[in-house]
Amino acid sequence: MRSRESRPADFLPLTPAVLHILLALADGEQHGYAIAQAIEAVTDGTVRMGPGTLYGSIGRMVAGGLIEESTRPRGRGDDDERRRFYRMTALGRRVLESETERLSRVVALARAKNVIRRPEPA
Amino acid sequence: MRGVKHVFELILRLYPSDFRRQYGDEMRAFVQGRLGEPRYASPWGAFGLVCHLLVDGVAGAVREHLVHFAASRSTSGTIPRRRPRISNNEPPEELMATLVHDARYAVRTLRRRPAFTIVAAITLALGIGATSAIFGVIDTMLFRPLRYPAPEQIVVVNMTRGGSLREPPAYPDFLDWREQSRSFQSLGVTRSQSLNLTGRETPERLSGNFVSASLLTLLGAEPLAGRLFTFAETEVGTAAPVAVISEGLWRRRFGAEPTIVGSTMVLNGQQFTVVGIVPSTFSFFSGTDVYLPITYYPNNAGLTRKDHSMFVVGRLRPNVTLASADAEMRAIGARLAEQFPAENVGSGAHVESLHTLLVGDVRAPLYIVMGAVTLLLLIACANVANLQLSHAIARRREMSVRSALGAGRGRLARQLLTESVILSALGGLLGVAVAYAFVALLISIIPIDLTFFSPIRVDGRVMAFAALVSILTGIVFGLAPAIHASRTNLNDALSTRTGGLSARVRGIEMRGVFVVAQLALSIVLLVGAGLLTRTLVKLQQVDLGFDTSNLLTMEFRLPATKYSQPQQISDFFTRAIAEIRAVPGVRSAALVRAVPLSGNSDARAYAVAGAPEPEKGQAPILQLNTVSPGYFKTIGLALVTGRDVNEHDDANAPLVAVVNETFARREWPNASAIGQRIRFVDSDRWVTVVGVARDAKHFGPADLPTPQAYIPFMQMPQIFTSVVVRANRDAIALGPLVREAIWRVDRDQPVWKIRTMDSLVANTLGSKRVLLALVGVFASVALLLAGVGIFGVMSFAVAQRTHEVGVRMALGASGGEVLRLIVGQGLRLTVIALLLGLAAAAGATQLMASQLFGVTPSDPVTFATVPIVLCAVAALACYLPARRASRLDPLTALRRE
Repeated sequence: MRSRESRPADFLPLTPAVLHILLALADGEQHGYAIAQAIEAVTDGTVRMGPGTLYGSIGRMVAGGLIEESTRPRGRGDDDERRRFYRMTALGRRVLESETERLSRVVALARAKNVIRRPEPA
Repeated sequence: MRGVKHVFELILRLYPSDFRRQYGDEMRAFVQGRLGEPRYASPWGAFGLVCHLLVDGVAGAVREHLVHFAASRSTSGTIPRRRPRISNNEPPEELMATLVHDARYAVRTLRRRPAFTIVAAITLALGIGATSAIFGVIDTMLFRPLRYPAPEQIVVVNMTRGGSLREPPAYPDFLDWREQSRSFQSLGVTRSQSLNLTGRETPERLSGNFVSASLLTLLGAEPLAGRLFTFAETEVGTAAPVAVISEGLWRRRFGAEPTIVGSTMVLNGQQFTVVGIVPSTFSFFSGTDVYLPITYYPNNAGLTRKDHSMFVVGRLRPNVTLASADAEMRAIGARLAEQFPAENVGSGAHVESLHTLLVGDVRAPLYIVMGAVTLLLLIACANVANLQLSHAIARRREMSVRSALGAGRGRLARQLLTESVILSALGGLLGVAVAYAFVALLISIIPIDLTFFSPIRVDGRVMAFAALVSILTGIVFGLAPAIHASRTNLNDALSTRTGGLSARVRGIEMRGVFVVAQLALSIVLLVGAGLLTRTLVKLQQVDLGFDTSNLLTMEFRLPATKYSQPQQISDFFTRAIAEIRAVPGVRSAALVRAVPLSGNSDARAYAVAGAPEPEKGQAPILQLNTVSPGYFKTIGLALVTGRDVNEHDDANAPLVAVVNETFARREWPNASAIGQRIRFVDSDRWVTVVGVARDAKHFGPADLPTPQAYIPFMQMPQIFTSVVVRANRDAIALGPLVREAIWRVDRDQPVWKIRTMDSLVANTLGSKRVLLALVGVFASVALLLAGVGIFGVMSFAVAQRTHEVGVRMALGASGGEVLRLIVGQGLRLTVIALLLGLAAAAGATQLMASQLFGVTPSDPVTFATVPIVLCAVAALACYLPARRASRLDPLTALRRE
């Protein structure tokens, strides 16, 4: 109910954990362990999430309407029965967009102030 | 791998159950996945994973609890629920508030009213500190092992005789026990007696213990220097003149001179070689200076079967129980009774643990003090609760506003409870300081030899106890105000300026309950203190039979080696008494073997001429004392008939005795005692009764009438004796002069225990006095707190009823009627408290019966006096606010609402 009324700006700024989870789910639905592995892969192992952090964040993201539980995708029946899959909601996608926009503005500002010496590809 | 899962199961339990239900299985699957990764395969890797899971899990669990807490708190609220913040680093600010904010707010509130905080904290500190200190003493004495190695194996073996289980055995009994028993690793024997140290600048009396070698070793003594006794050195036939001295004596008297081991010292006129020093951490009987072989124990009777004065200590074999050792010793005792009918008939042997023997008499007083101090703590709690409650009522507007702004009932209650717990924690901190002081005080006033026990101190256990009591205290006194606040009715509270009637009445009612509880608890304490006071008064009123004022006593003993002949002994005393009588200020002086109330005594079995010879072991026992001429006059003990012993009753004259009235009445109820003859069963000489004296209490005021006999000193000279001196005034000032007089006869003669009879009387009341002092102080504080409590409630009630009083007075009620109304209200509370308190006291005082003398636990005088005292205090406490009400100007009062 409330999530439908929510504006993406209400959720900003995102914590690193939430941001990473949303980014991981941008490729499609995943279960928790796969999310953690994906995050670790894209950050070269610098962000290693434990179950407490991961599921704590997932719990709040579900409650906030950023992600939702999905049915088990076909062809993935070999996975552990206990695992549930999550996917991003429309709100989640908008929040992620807003956050990345906000971040790119921050990066642009930093560049303008010449704080970043070696600009990296976004 | 399985270990990691186990750890994770434990971590999962930290989470709220809702969360666990929702995500537990997934989290397990997550860990399962991690475990499949190659980097965690090695043991080192697994350890790293466990660390990671622990840090992550604990932090996560705390976060989820905070979220859970906030969610449950705000579900019923009328304020719109805020959307959960998508964040895991920073919990919502409301969550912070419930924990830190409450505490901060509480501290701020307490700081805003420093007077209340200080009074409450000190009240609680006294209660918590005193309770913790007594707990420390009880814990050490009753529940901790004695300070010897494997203390549970240490037992005491005593003789049983005629119903008594604790009769001292004789040395040959000890030898038989040691030889025949199988239950003990070792049996040791000891006999305490003072020693004369001479051959140095000033003669000195030392505290001595005559022991068998086994006694020191079985108690785990380790020499600081030199060695302890060998077995042979303390046995008859192979004894050697060797001594072991205490570290205390070594430092005090010999300046910690290392060459003391191997040197000689003259004790009781005989040379002993010091072979070792025992450290001050070892002590059996406090203050022992010197240990000597038991074989040197200097007694007239020697180490015979007649001298029943030994203390036998044993160490049980590891697998032997107390019961089986006792059974074995009973059998041995029975055998010895048959074997030695002359001395042992009717006797047996009994084994009990040393700990039982030591704490047997102190258990009841300790529990009484603990009970009293707990009552006091409860009263203190009630007092602080009352203060809190009145404050809570005054804060109703604040509470109402906070409630209107969305604070739930639970939240307000928690706020007040937080305040209470912080207050009690403050009290607990101060209480630890109080406990330190109180423990020191208790150690100095407890009339018990504490050297057997672990040192009594404020240690971790006492601290833990104090912490526990603080928290419980905070909850006990914080709960009522918290509940009260949570019942605050929003509309009711905001509708009028000073708060609605119903809530106000509820507050007063609740405070009334506290006042009743306080008063009732005070009554229990007051009754206890009253009974102990009456006991002490009764004990002091007991007619001891003699005049205790201005009487000086002192003890000394002649070295047996120097005074070996009876004639030498009597010559010394004749000259000494003459010198003492010549001292200015001395009215009279005499010798006596055992000064009344000094603890010394002698008892003999006797037979009466003309009566049938008693069976062996069945002969009646009398208290025997040897006295010099003038003894009765000196201590003021009246002779009823006949004459005093005199100078002509010497070694060459026929044996004579003075007996007491109880003796005369028991043996010759229908005839005069004068001229009758008695005989001690260990002698065949007859003694003629020449006088009858009044009964004199010998051990203390609680003595039952006992047959007593006095025989002339010259007819039984003893090296160990005392002098009693009647002074014209200020007896204790004569002490040094009397000692000088004795030294004029023999320069080498130590004199000790120079005491007045008044101090001996005080000593016999010692433990009762301590008990009364403690309970009395607690009761006084309780009464004070209860008085303050009822005063507070009545003042508050008067303030709340100002309007009503105004109406009544406007309608014509007089000041006196208003006074009666208010005081009557307070006294109603008092009467309820009296009924409850007296009923509780009637039950509680039954537990004190063993500590009372001359009064029953339901003593009518005490039970009648306490209500009067309490009513007086309550009436005063009600009168002051009532008078204020009665002087109100009706117009002002009416305008106030």
